[in-house]
Amino acid sequence: MNSWFSFSLPDFCYAFLSVLLEGVPFILLGTLLSGLIDQFLPSRVMTRFLPRNKFLGICASAVLGLVFPMCECGIVPVIRRLIAKGLPVSNGVAYMLAAPIVNPITAISTYAAFRGQGAMEFTALRLGLGFFVSVIVGLAVHNLSVGKVLKKDVLETIMLSGDSSAAGGSQPLGRRFVAAMESGIRDFLDVMVYFIIGAGVASVFGTALNHEVLLPLSLKDWIAVPSMMGLAGLLALCSSSDAFIAATFVTFPAVAKLAFLVFGPMMDLKLLFIYSAVFTRKFVVCLALGLFVLIGLLCLRLSVIGL
Amino acid sequence: MKALISRFAASGVLMIWGVILVYFKLSGRVASYLHPSFHLFILISGIILILLSAVLLLTLPEASPADGYSSRGFFSGGALSFLVLTIPLLASTGISQSRFGVTALMNRGLVDNISGLPGFTPPVDPALPRQDGSVGEGTLMDPSAYLKKNAEGFIKAETVDLLYAATDAPMRSDFENKDVEIIGQFMPARTRNPAGNRFNLVRLFMMCCAADARPVALTVQTATPIDFPEMTWVKVVGKATFPVEGGRHTPVVMAQSVKETEPPRESFIY
Repeated sequence: MNSWFSFSLPDFCYAFLSVLLEGVPFILLGTLLSGLIDQFLPSRVMTRFLPRNKFLGICASAVLGLVFPMCECGIVPVIRRLIAKGLPVSNGVAYMLAAPIVNPITAISTYAAFRGQGAMEFTALRLGLGFFVSVIVGLAVHNLSVGKVLKKDVLETIMLSGDSSAAGGSQPLGRRFVAAMESGIRDFLDVMVYFIIGAGVASVFGTALNHEVLLPLSLKDWIAVPSMMGLAGLLALCSSSDAFIAATFVTFPAVAKLAFLVFGPMMDLKLLFIYSAVFTRKFVVCLALGLFVLIGLLCLRLSVIGL
Repeated sequence: MKALISRFAASGVLMIWGVILVYFKLSGRVASYLHPSFHLFILISGIILILLSAVLLLTLPEASPADGYSSRGFFSGGALSFLVLTIPLLASTGISQSRFGVTALMNRGLVDNISGLPGFTPPVDPALPRQDGSVGEGTLMDPSAYLKKNAEGFIKAETVDLLYAATDAPMRSDFENKDVEIIGQFMPARTRNPAGNRFNLVRLFMMCCAADARPVALTVQTATPIDFPEMTWVKVVGKATFPVEGGRHTPVVMAQSVKETEPPRESFIY
């Protein structure tokens, strides 16, 4: 067997560039959409059309990403604004966790990345599991007091804030388009920083690491699933392009890749920090652990039925 | 002032990305990196990024500290973000040789069994013969539909064709003991080579991008040991055989000639 690690700079650059080139169109599309939503969608619309029944409301929030797609990097400020304008915290959390997965951009990119590897089934499972986990967490949050979930300063903002229309609503249309473009560009640049770092780590993994040494991790589902979730947490990839990186882990079982693709957009290193801007530290830690256990168990269960 | 600098820098980043994406598409270099279905996305994205960059520059006068967007700046990480967004892309574009070397291939492991390629499906599903038992033209049952031949009458095959044939009896009979011509990259055989007269003929099988490509290896046996620099493109002409080795049919091409050749226009197989 070759050395477990042998790095070649040209090989690394080649793999790194190919991941970047593949992911950029999807990230660009997602961030441009998010910019338009940011400027042209009044938050009142989202709350007005949610069902009053709590369970149905949380379910509806978890599929809102299909209509209002947002990536995990950009969604937290939106959630903070929506909660301040009266959206229940449980609905907000369900939307926040589901939207990066249950949205058309992620569906298309997952389908494209897994073409030839059961793309349709894999895409459906990713979206379905993402929806299910988000609803479960939303229902759990519903049973918590708001004070245990939201940071004190956010709570105070909610108390003080009144209802208002979307940002820039009173501005001329041309100015709002420019603002939407700027918002999209800012999202693009922010996300690309994390994507470049993630692509770099993934490319080291893909070219320098002798895949034979990973075989022990990929042979057993109960090791492969948590290993891939841990990797997703470390890589902190964007949900619109993470499928392309997951697809390169060809030695890992499908359930482990599914765990990677469901856990990653809901919780990773960068999200730990971003979530802490809105939620209490205790809640964020519990959310991370809860998601790890819940998604891990669900994926292991899926492996039992033959996925 | 800070808002102006931030906007100018953001415009520069977008322009760099846009120009590089357009360059990759127009130069044809993108073919070494992505599956053909993604090539158009690269061009469109590049053009959009260049347009966005231009719009940012044209709206420079609007950037003022009073402007909520501009005053916050475009880079949450400041200069470090700017460097991360530009340096790796530019450096990789310059350093990358648009192909993998031996190191990456060996780290990934050579695939010599079709079951190791999760994305591979045969190009055409087998069609049934007609009711009278004759073979319909243009179906997989008609070997002439997929067994293209060169001027000398040798079947022009790909490495995956023979790997697939090894697991499929009807397809195996189409190739067995027939003369074939195959192009691939030379790699010394480090296993299953007791006489030292075998080497691996490697092609990269791409699912989406080069990062997920798997090296597909076919065993070639020569009368006497031969040697080329690793990863040299060679054309092998010989007879396809499928001896049972390691408990399964394994494709081995008994080579009549092995010559260095130009890389094919499409270096990947899809």
